[in-house]
Amino acid sequence: MNVPSPLVRDLIDAIGEEAVVWHDDDLLVYEYDGTIDRGNPDVIALPANTDDVVNLIKIANKHDAPVTPRGAGTGLSGGALAARGGVIIGMNRMRRILNIDPENKTALVQPGVVNLDLGSEAERHGLAYAPDPSSQRACTIGGNVAENAGGPHTLAWGTTTNHVLALELVTADGEVQWIGHDTRDEPGYDLVGCVVGSEGTVGIVTQALVRLVPRPTAVRTMLAIYDSVRQASNAVSAVVASGIVPAALEMIDKMTIAAVEPVLNTGFPLDAEAVLLVEVDGPESQVEAEGARVEGILNRFEPREVRSATDPEEREHLWAGRKGAIGALGQIMPNYYLLDGVVPRTQLPDVLDGVYEIAERYRLPVANMFHAGDGNLHPCLLFDEREPGATERVLDAGGEIMRLCVDAGGAITGEHGVGLEKRDYLPWIFTEADMDAMKSLRAAFGPTENFNPCKIFPKGHGCGEAGHQHAQQQIARFGPKAFV
Amino acid sequence: MADAEADSAAGLESLFDNVDSDNDRLRRYAVDDLVPGRAVRATAVEDVERLQSLATEHNLSVIAHGGRTMLDLGMPPRRYDLALDLSGLDQVVDYEPNDFTITVQAGMTLAELQRHLATNGQFLPLDHSHFERATLGGICAVGRGGLRRNSFGGPRDWLIGMRMVKADGTAIKGGGKVVKNVSGYDLPKLFAGSLGTLGVIVEVTLKLRPQPASDQIVALNAPSFESALAAARAAARAAPFLNGCVALSAEAAANAHDLGARLLHDQPAILLRANGLETAASEVLAQALRAVREAGLDGPERTTSAIVETWQAVADLELQTREACVRLRLGLPPANLPRAQRLLSDFLPEATSWIAAADSGLMFVDVPSVDADTVKTLRTRLGPLQGRLTIESGPLELKRAVDVWGPAGPGARLMHNVKEQFDPLGILNPGRYVDGI
Repeated sequence: MNVPSPLVRDLIDAIGEEAVVWHDDDLLVYEYDGTIDRGNPDVIALPANTDDVVNLIKIANKHDAPVTPRGAGTGLSGGALAARGGVIIGMNRMRRILNIDPENKTALVQPGVVNLDLGSEAERHGLAYAPDPSSQRACTIGGNVAENAGGPHTLAWGTTTNHVLALELVTADGEVQWIGHDTRDEPGYDLVGCVVGSEGTVGIVTQALVRLVPRPTAVRTMLAIYDSVRQASNAVSAVVASGIVPAALEMIDKMTIAAVEPVLNTGFPLDAEAVLLVEVDGPESQVEAEGARVEGILNRFEPREVRSATDPEEREHLWAGRKGAIGALGQIMPNYYLLDGVVPRTQLPDVLDGVYEIAERYRLPVANMFHAGDGNLHPCLLFDEREPGATERVLDAGGEIMRLCVDAGGAITGEHGVGLEKRDYLPWIFTEADMDAMKSLRAAFGPTENFNPCKIFPKGHGCGEAGHQHAQQQIARFGPKAFV
Repeated sequence: MADAEADSAAGLESLFDNVDSDNDRLRRYAVDDLVPGRAVRATAVEDVERLQSLATEHNLSVIAHGGRTMLDLGMPPRRYDLALDLSGLDQVVDYEPNDFTITVQAGMTLAELQRHLATNGQFLPLDHSHFERATLGGICAVGRGGLRRNSFGGPRDWLIGMRMVKADGTAIKGGGKVVKNVSGYDLPKLFAGSLGTLGVIVEVTLKLRPQPASDQIVALNAPSFESALAAARAAARAAPFLNGCVALSAEAAANAHDLGARLLHDQPAILLRANGLETAASEVLAQALRAVREAGLDGPERTTSAIVETWQAVADLELQTREACVRLRLGLPPANLPRAQRLLSDFLPEATSWIAAADSGLMFVDVPSVDADTVKTLRTRLGPLQGRLTIESGPLELKRAVDVWGPAGPGARLMHNVKEQFDPLGILNPGRYVDGI
């Protein structure tokens, strides 16, 4: 496109030429996020403040153009893709931390603030921002709010929804309002609870007031290496049953070890089957006592080795294998498909067996890394998209793994969101009536036909049903309904 | 309405075994002196579905009842045809201790739930007054955190799944049975705190916690409520891992004593609670006590092994309303508590009982009487402190003269939209909620 469309001209008039991206080459980076799916936006608009957001939405509405909000584009469910084209509103320029209130332990931030930057700023006041998704070096608070992001440390502290107090929200009709209250004492419906995790389908968050938590005075990280996933799983169960709530409880399997070891020099034996990471934090005496107990439990299940660290640098080294896992998988295969199943924790060992079985049947290498403490598993199917039929195989296997999680009493996504990617599978866990109720909640936020279309709910005009034939096949195979 | 009632009575009686039309017994279900025409006690979820579809058909208004501990909350109902008693829905639906989750029907009491969980060394971390009577459905419908909300949060933070019956009788659910789940919109959060205005909660799934290895409590007297509050604030600042941090006025302490908190006497006091492993809990308490000493409290520290009873007695004060008394609830950022307290005591010199959670900005104040204008003035003055003042209970004349919830915030437009979507006829708890909802 060399001549700006009337829509683009209006957007440029509203927020300036430098804040509007519309040349074909420049649009490329906005076509994808962390998933396999792609979307083709017509134009990207980068607002500097809430008024800009209001104007942009109104202009898009005038031109009948779909609007899709976007943060850092690190999402893992296609939530930030322009599924029906139109305008992507990128929030990256609104990235100021407006206020930190150490007395009341809150922070007021713009949506483009990077998760880790908020964490670092909070740290200067002896506080922490608890949700810590693995993409925290890049992902933004706005995106975290949309997806109700989790992370390794949400076992003890909960996910984003437990930490957002109030939001400034621009709804699909371009209206601005503050919802929520500093201490959740605003009488009325918990609108903040509805917006967090709504995947950017009811409005655009332009400011967020979040809760900060006291920074633990001590942290101890323990790493145990096991000869079988079952042994490691049993150790997880024993830790949880002991009455200790660890800050994090993570596991990686053999394939992941094979990927990370050569790149990160983690010192993991390549023939080990599972590596377990447990972290306890809090006041010093608590950490000392809990650490000793956890280590005792880990040792009961015949580990090859248990390592332990309290020093930040050494702890970071123990974490390296987990945090760098996804990146390292590129060593094995050029592409990966990351799933996000969640099951009742006691079902994990059986479900894992099932995951390995499915991967083998589809002839796909699978690397598993997961939040073992809360039953959230991330099987990562490895493939090469240049190989004919590989992508289809991956999507089929992915559907089957999701079904496995549903049948085990779980759900199709624990922290990545339904988005574009998993929307066809929503009827596996919700009835028409359930989904109608959800849609009526969406309708309360205004006419949303054109606002972040094709996300969460199955079907929808112009959403490219053809591209979702794999999902349709799996649904046909297993039947539409399962229900937990 | 009388015609509709007559029409529906036959329908009701043919559908349910346990329809009560006895006037004396119906008085038990009165809300703000309004007595319903009929009461139905549900024993199965299907009862709720049938009742709601009948209510929709005949345009009858319904108020759902759990343990009836919070019925004073809210505005007087605009109309009230049917009482729906959920206390018969009191079963455990699903409990796998090692998953640290439980699914129960809405009519189960919190006390019964905790007893059930205690056999496995687990508990649901929620403070709630009158937990022997309060039901999980009611607690979630009211949706408030208690005195320990700084460390526990509120029902919203423990709810992971919910089944509800919509106004028209359709059964729906949200969430699931897993502790981490972002599949679909978070309907449980919408219903938590909706006071029965969007649908009837019939089943909830909750996250659980292991009981702490050690639980410790300590009380200290203070010369005045003001000094108790200042000391409690100092403790909360110095020991952020405290599990509870409450200041009480002399009358509140005396009332708590009468309810079973033998640790407290008729003097202003602070009550601190810490838990975790024993050494850690002791360390947190010691940290807090150092700050309390520095803040000037020099009396002896008293402790007890009757921790649960002591704390529950204080929590029960939230509802310890007496005749001819107005109970106010104030929520605000905790650092603003002392200023808010001075403001309130200026306007309400007769206030007697004061209770404040110093770590989370929650305060309850009893006053023999207050007029509507004073409430309105107080709300205006509390605005800059981010204070939200609600009338928890009070005489009907006061409730009619001033909105107990306070003026609706900027989210009111969206709230009305939500109500319109879920209950277009306005038959669920009409008029009792925020902004006339």
